[in-house]
Amino acid sequence: MQPARVEESSSIHHETRNCSIPSGENSVWADVSPLLSAACSGLHEGELIHGDNFNLFAAMSALEIMDPKMDSGMVSAFYSIDEAIESGFAPVPISSDRTVNVESIIDIMDHLLVCEATWHMGHSLAQTVYSCIYVLRPERTSSQALLHSFCRVIRATCRTVVSVVSDTRTNEEDDLFTMTYGLPFSGDEDAKGLSLLNAVEETICRQLRACKATSSKRRALEELEPLQTSPHLEESFCKALLCRIRFRKHFLHTLNCMRRPQGRGFELARKHIASCISELDSVLESAEFLRLDLVENGENKIEERTTASGRHPIGFDPTLNKRLSAPTPPRAIKLLPWKKALDYFVKLLHNLDQICAFSLEPDLDSVLQFVIQFQKSRPDLVSRAHLQLLLVQDGKLYGRDTFLAVCARAVALDVTKDHALQKNEYILQLCQLMINLLKILCANTPWQRRKLGKILNDWSVFRVQMGITVGQAMQQDTSRTPKNGLFIPELASSLTSNNLSFSFRNLGSMEKQRWNIVLTCISVPFRIKLYSTSEYCMVYWYMYITLWKLAERARFRVLIIVNTEERKAKMNKDYHRDMAREDRISLWVLLLQCQTSLAQGLTVMLSALRNRGMCLKSQGPFNTENEKFTQHFELLQKASLPEYDAYQSFAESTSHTRLDYLPVYEYFRDAQKIAKDIKVGFANDPVNLAEVRGLEQVAEHNIIAVNLINQDCSLKVSFQFTHHPYFATAVVRRS
Amino acid sequence: MEQEAERSATSVASTSEGSGLDPIARTRKLLFRQMLVGIKDGRFFLGNFHCIDKQGNIILQDTVEYRSIRRSSPSPTEQRCLGMILIPSSCRTSCHVDCSIEEQLSLVKLKE
Repeated sequence: MQPARVEESSSIHHETRNCSIPSGENSVWADVSPLLSAACSGLHEGELIHGDNFNLFAAMSALEIMDPKMDSGMVSAFYSIDEAIESGFAPVPISSDRTVNVESIIDIMDHLLVCEATWHMGHSLAQTVYSCIYVLRPERTSSQALLHSFCRVIRATCRTVVSVVSDTRTNEEDDLFTMTYGLPFSGDEDAKGLSLLNAVEETICRQLRACKATSSKRRALEELEPLQTSPHLEESFCKALLCRIRFRKHFLHTLNCMRRPQGRGFELARKHIASCISELDSVLESAEFLRLDLVENGENKIEERTTASGRHPIGFDPTLNKRLSAPTPPRAIKLLPWKKALDYFVKLLHNLDQICAFSLEPDLDSVLQFVIQFQKSRPDLVSRAHLQLLLVQDGKLYGRDTFLAVCARAVALDVTKDHALQKNEYILQLCQLMINLLKILCANTPWQRRKLGKILNDWSVFRVQMGITVGQAMQQDTSRTPKNGLFIPELASSLTSNNLSFSFRNLGSMEKQRWNIVLTCISVPFRIKLYSTSEYCMVYWYMYITLWKLAERARFRVLIIVNTEERKAKMNKDYHRDMAREDRISLWVLLLQCQTSLAQGLTVMLSALRNRGMCLKSQGPFNTENEKFTQHFELLQKASLPEYDAYQSFAESTSHTRLDYLPVYEYFRDAQKIAKDIKVGFANDPVNLAEVRGLEQVAEHNIIAVNLINQDCSLKVSFQFTHHPYFATAVVRRS
Repeated sequence: MEQEAERSATSVASTSEGSGLDPIARTRKLLFRQMLVGIKDGRFFLGNFHCIDKQGNIILQDTVEYRSIRRSSPSPTEQRCLGMILIPSSCRTSCHVDCSIEEQLSLVKLKE
């Protein structure tokens, strides 16, 4: 057998190409190709030559060179940016024809917007925004004020966004978002971009005015050089450029304002956000004009293009610095279409506006409610990073209120009076739990689901430890009489420990938060379609238990408030009961009751359908229903939420439900009735009003569905989430 | 010589040094040494020789990639670390090890 490689003529062979790679001292590079080929031909199939430390498993993770899915360094069109520039890939100016020049610049602007949105969606900066040679080497375009300043501002924007996201670490481990190794960011130079861009904007404004001016005035403005050659198009080109420039400007301002500490820049940021949104509208409008050429040429498939005009932009090569996104394998990037990128930015801006509009009350309840509400619109990474930046700033809520004070207020304690409190390990632990909870709630949905279950366990441990301490302290201090004449004995008992008066009653609000987390834990998977239809029954059962617990807590809170306020009223005759506050709380209780009824109704309906064989039963060779139950709710069970064996209770309560009995009917009716009643109360609260309307519709549709199913058992039942994100609506079909 | 090497491939390597050994034993002696592999697209990889299979695919450890910044430029100027890599034999164009002059001469004997 001849060795595969015998073409190497001499083994004393110094390749000119690798002479710059130094060999060791007093040694040379010796060609071993012939030896290797001889050795290879001597090996048996599957045999390897390797050392003692060889591990096949580890070897499997080796990067395969020249594999397009693994080797990010594969040389494609150009060896380097310099080579691309020298070959005229990104010329400056782009074209000697002024019309082509300005058209190309608009294309570059549009494509950069697409790149930026794609980057925000989780791709690497190197393969998106920095695939533009003009952005990579802005110094080349210094003679072209428009392109130059635009690229500088893009760089400054990327830098700001990267710093927000890496500060808050809202990105997942495998997100490429903050990987900027080797990419040029020159802060000082880029910061000047904004003032340059302002000057450019001013010039184009004058140009636009000149277009609109009458011919007599036009003469006076003649020294202005038009952007391009056809005078009748000048106005449209000016407008197309202006809205793009202004969007960039306001967007950077928005980000800078939002970074100001303690939310001080929010008011101003909202103004910039409004401007951004209106400029994006103009950008969208400009497409009609820019697309003229293409329509004339009869080209289609414009929806997939990355520019308003539909042309391919000049000066972009995503393979150029692909290897800067190492050590990850190169990913194939599909850029968003231009229209989708605009939609993304509109959504981002609305999310940012939502954050800026937040009241910044130092109250845990309202913070948590806000965050959960905010997450409902499924915000993307950048807006979530801004939310977290606001909530946990320098270890303080809004960078302003210490978590110690906020948590203490939540459990009705006064930290200012009690210095021992600041050293109390439980309060400190509670603070840390709250900080962690807020951070988790700012993360993405799958991450949240994983982490929320875990934090519930921490919470349980904390509760148990605290219970032991409280119990010990109570034993030492049995003579002490309860301070509050409240309804549940354990809540009324208080203790003196480290000169600290800490009542169990205070834990009530923490209990509520715990159940709130459980509810989030159960409802979040609906957003990412993690439950199969056969599992809905157990999910709604768990949800029902959770909501019932929450409603119980809420009712209890109303009682406390009424009780204390009555007492206050007795003590002080001038005292007026805060009716508004009371109403708000009872509305809240009713809303919970409405949700509870819905969840109960759905549980009974689903189990009746299941028992009748009309709905998908939990089948399949791999998992029993019990196992599925454990998979979904294991973490909640570990945290003793609820304290009994949930699966057994679920199985017992749902095994005997029957269609012809259908108490379902009443549950949905109850929900519908409550929803109708409380709608008026939420008239000034659009968020909750929308929730109540959704619940009402779910109830209404399900009542109809139940009636139909009752009449005809041959109907096919499926479930949709058209009216509410996690309360399903039954849809009935004939076949 | 090649034929002999082939025949003695399965025999256990003797203790003697140099060209007296069969190619497999001599290749085994190259393990853990610095190896420089050139590939078709002009890049070079410098790493510790870790493994080779019958097909001639090489695994290097702690590899540094060298590349030139221009197609026309003769010497590689850019480099980055890659860790463990697998170089398929199909894209390998050259393969060198770092060794002393004497050792190099002994390698030459294989060709004679």
